[in-house]
Amino acid sequence: MQLRPALVALLALAGVAHADGELTVRGAYYKEKATRVTQPMIDVRLDVGEHGTVDGHMLADAITSASVGAFQETRIEAGGGYSHIFMDETLTLGADFRYSSEPDYKSTFGVVRGAKELADRNFTIGGALAGGLDKMSGIVGMNVRTGELKTGLASINASQILSPNLVVGVTFDLIAMRGEQANLYRSVIANGMELPEEAPDYRRRQAIAGSVKYWLIPTSTTLIGTYRYYFDTWDIAAHTPELRAIQDVDDVAWFTARYRYHTQRKAFFFEDRYPDGVIPELPSDDQKLSKFQSHTMGAQLEVAGEAFGFTDRLGATRAQIVIEYIVQSTAFGNAVVAHAALTVPIEY
Amino acid sequence: MLRFCVVAVATLYLATAGCAVVRPHERQNLARRSMTEDRDAGQRRFSQHQTGSREGADGGTGEPGGGCGCN
Repeated sequence: MQLRPALVALLALAGVAHADGELTVRGAYYKEKATRVTQPMIDVRLDVGEHGTVDGHMLADAITSASVGAFQETRIEAGGGYSHIFMDETLTLGADFRYSSEPDYKSTFGVVRGAKELADRNFTIGGALAGGLDKMSGIVGMNVRTGELKTGLASINASQILSPNLVVGVTFDLIAMRGEQANLYRSVIANGMELPEEAPDYRRRQAIAGSVKYWLIPTSTTLIGTYRYYFDTWDIAAHTPELRAIQDVDDVAWFTARYRYHTQRKAFFFEDRYPDGVIPELPSDDQKLSKFQSHTMGAQLEVAGEAFGFTDRLGATRAQIVIEYIVQSTAFGNAVVAHAALTVPIEY
Repeated sequence: MLRFCVVAVATLYLATAGCAVVRPHERQNLARRSMTEDRDAGQRRFSQHQTGSREGADGGTGEPGGGCGCN
């Protein structure tokens, strides 16, 4: 069981001299026309000695959906990682893993990553390599459908400090996926027949994203602009710009306003409906492969205990509330997202 | 595309190499919470999971998406 090494590592920390960390408890909620997801989760981050950090998380997804027959399912995910700083604190190397389990779907993922600071720590270049294996199995009608999906990721990123108030960054991800990529349960009506959803076995996804962060001195506001261009071998291409403005109130409260726009082209094999007489080779009406647009508008408030006069650990404890509304032109319909979180500092 | 990105990163480095170096004592604004981690790990993970389940595009975060039957 993958959890065991992480638990052993966490227990071993009990013997380490004074160090710091954080524990976050979060509840997230997602609701759209036919699907509701509630997700409680715990995240922990702990310093290990002078140069190490260990982190872990655990979550449960409770999914209720009426879209493919009515179903209710729970997914459990656990993950953890370790990172270490070397060479005058200019080189960081780390590794993470995660394991996810639901009755018909198991997923294992591992990643190694590194980052090096250069030019008097004004320029940072980093990279990551990851691999994953998903296994799925489901009963469809009288048949048992099974599948396997292998995923590999190579990522490179760089950031540059341009002034005491401005930093820019760029990330490029290359993701290759081979195996079962259709939903085992979905079916498509074509030429009067009900056909199981199919998708190509191979998909190569590429995304390049840029970001600009600027600290506006007169108002103590952080402005963040990001843009991502995505394309893949299924002929989907997408543009995703996002803007966030974070108002800092005396380093004890933060209010964030967010807007994200997403537009994409459809996959070459997607069709909303098939004309009579056509039996598609790869039947799919999966809405997320369609041509569509979405707008996400969000607001977030985070407050530290210090704002209410608390000191020490209570003063550093932070409470957060997030509300988002998503307008999507797909059949999924519009959605609401809400989070509530509490972050408590740890000293040991 | 990979070649393009290597060139883009190299260009970013070379184009900014001549910029005035920002010394550690000038970085108090860059070290502020809103400039370093305005979204924590759980929030990012849920957001990526949500968009990965509802959009055909994924990536650009340096993190692998997926890992569930809702993809």
